[in-house]
Amino acid sequence: MRSLRLALLQLVALCLLLTGASTDAADESAAASERKHCLSCHAIRGSVKKFSDGDQVSTYVDPKAFDRSIHRTLPCSACHEEFSSKHHPDRVFRTKQQYQVRESRRCLTCHPDEKINERPIHQSLLKKELAGQPRICTTCHSAHSAQRVRKGNVTTSEEQFCLRCHRYAGTMHFASGASVSTQVDTAEIANSAHRNLACSDCHFSFSPSEHPRRQFRSIREYRLSASELCRRCHFDKQTKMAESIHYSLVSTGRLDAPTCVDCHGGHAIRSMETDRLAIVKKCASCHRQVYAEYAQSVHGRALSDTNNADVPTCIDCHSSHSIRAARSASFHDAIPDTCGGCHGKKEVMAKYGLSTAVVKTYLSDFHGMTLQLHRKEIRNRQRPAAPLAVCSDCHGVHTIGRATGENAAVIKSNLLKRCQSCHPNASENFPDIWLSHYEPSLAAMPLIFILQWFYRVMLFVMVVGLVFQILLDIRRRLEK
Amino acid sequence: MSADTSMATPRRIRRFSTYRIVEHLLLILLFATLALTGLPQKFHQVGICQSLILLIGGIDMARIIHHWAGVLFLLLAVEHIAVNFIGIVFRQWDPSLLITLKDVKDAIHNGRYYLGLLPNPALCGRFSYKEKCVYWLVLIGGIQMIVTGFMLWFPVLVTRYLPGQFIPAAKIVHSSEAMITFLLVVTWHLYEVILSPDVFPVNKGIFTGYMEEQQAARLHPLEGTERREIDADDLSEMSPEHRP
Repeated sequence: MRSLRLALLQLVALCLLLTGASTDAADESAAASERKHCLSCHAIRGSVKKFSDGDQVSTYVDPKAFDRSIHRTLPCSACHEEFSSKHHPDRVFRTKQQYQVRESRRCLTCHPDEKINERPIHQSLLKKELAGQPRICTTCHSAHSAQRVRKGNVTTSEEQFCLRCHRYAGTMHFASGASVSTQVDTAEIANSAHRNLACSDCHFSFSPSEHPRRQFRSIREYRLSASELCRRCHFDKQTKMAESIHYSLVSTGRLDAPTCVDCHGGHAIRSMETDRLAIVKKCASCHRQVYAEYAQSVHGRALSDTNNADVPTCIDCHSSHSIRAARSASFHDAIPDTCGGCHGKKEVMAKYGLSTAVVKTYLSDFHGMTLQLHRKEIRNRQRPAAPLAVCSDCHGVHTIGRATGENAAVIKSNLLKRCQSCHPNASENFPDIWLSHYEPSLAAMPLIFILQWFYRVMLFVMVVGLVFQILLDIRRRLEK
Repeated sequence: MSADTSMATPRRIRRFSTYRIVEHLLLILLFATLALTGLPQKFHQVGICQSLILLIGGIDMARIIHHWAGVLFLLLAVEHIAVNFIGIVFRQWDPSLLITLKDVKDAIHNGRYYLGLLPNPALCGRFSYKEKCVYWLVLIGGIQMIVTGFMLWFPVLVTRYLPGQFIPAAKIVHSSEAMITFLLVVTWHLYEVILSPDVFPVNKGIFTGYMEEQQAARLHPLEGTERREIDADDLSEMSPEHRP
């Protein structure tokens, strides 16, 4: 009996869908009268259906919304099969979910699995159902205001269209067996730098009319492919990135090396310039050991303690996109520039009582001078020059501390070992050749200071004297 | 001898032996090499010096050339001192470059002359006080640069016996002495032998070995009264009246 009625209803619904307004007037008036009957109660706000667990749901149906819905021509009983103008059974459900699951089964009558499975979003829902998580159609499509899904006419923007599904927990499955949530946090989007972009600006080839099925072997492969899309706008960054150590690692098969989305995130993307601590934390997520060292350094502590805006974060030394291998000769040789970028700036160093002479004194000494010239001749070089001591060779790299007080003694005591790594026979006196960034003064380096001034005066006197003598000589001889 | 023939082929006197000519040529060569490879290192911040270093083949090549030119300069200095020591002590050579009391007097004399207090400059012998001055400054400066140059070349060895600060001190001495010698040569010496109205356009004596008699009489009027330096190989070439 029941199955017969169900078949009849299906037929009615199908007829209504196919023939639209020109449907049989009798059926229409039957549907209209049933609707009028139901809405005499259900169009009034305030009444609720209670569940055994105390939860409840409003029984209100918005007639206007229903009139706009795709199901507007169906009689109420087409979906609410147990109800009619005459029957209004009192049903008992344990929970709201139980009720929703049950009502969702009704949708299958017209929308069988084979049909809805054409959409990838449904596939993931059906997989979940097999895993024990029941599907609830109304979560996405809503009940009385269900709209036509195709052609995108249901939403005012593409974002809204996509979010109709992606605001809910869906899953994307990979060949590796792993899966990732397809849920999009709308708050993330609202705060992101890309909040004015449409979904398909990044999710290229997706649109309200297209949702291609793609297969990735793993989450990682999916992320890598997602990063490829960034270059459509950020071509300059992508070009720099292509020179980086991270990119070359990826191209040699190290897929865990970071790409755009690993540092910048996906939907939560925003400018990283303002939050310098966040930059450091990003790098730290892979480079833990380096971070541990940096966090203890004079730079790292200033950043974490006072959010100091002058100390370098990772990207100030390593750059952000074109990150080179830090163990390469070219990176090593550029370190005086790297450090000098801040330590050569008077207005910055003055804040901390630091001298900018450190750069000048280094560059005018043997290592600094040789290094500068080596870098100029690098193109003509047959083989790389022997490495020359740079800032980090004495002061340390990520562990860098103050060069005054206790640390000065530590640096000094390590100096001989440092020297010996290139000058193996160096004795204890050897490190004293380097004047520790001091500009000679009578107090600090009397021997050198006196010699310097002796020769300056002597040269001046000699040149002035000679020129004077030559001019007098010429004058006297021409007088004759 | 008629006036015409003396105008066409003026009488020349032998001033420098072949040995001195070669010695001076070697000195010019080494001085130029050392200056060209050394001074750009001192003024390495200046663009043209960097270009010069790159032209030479890079700082490493410039240092190699400078070091080995320095070694040759050392040999030349050792040879010069040894030969002259032997010549003066054992062969009765005239120590004509020794600074004497007359040179001090000449210097004071010329000072007054330049100020217009005396009508004529001091008369000098084989070498004027100016020439002696250049000679001794170059020789003493050269020795200093050899010593400090080797200190800079072998800092590891040096600091095994001396405090570390000696190396930057040596660097100051080396580069300052280089500047003194270089400026002395390019201003005073080149003025005296090229630009001075006395010798203009150039005094070729040190290259040919000869000087015109008239010029010699003007530049070195007292030389005839002094003993000249005569090396064995010069005797045959010297005119009899100039033999001692």
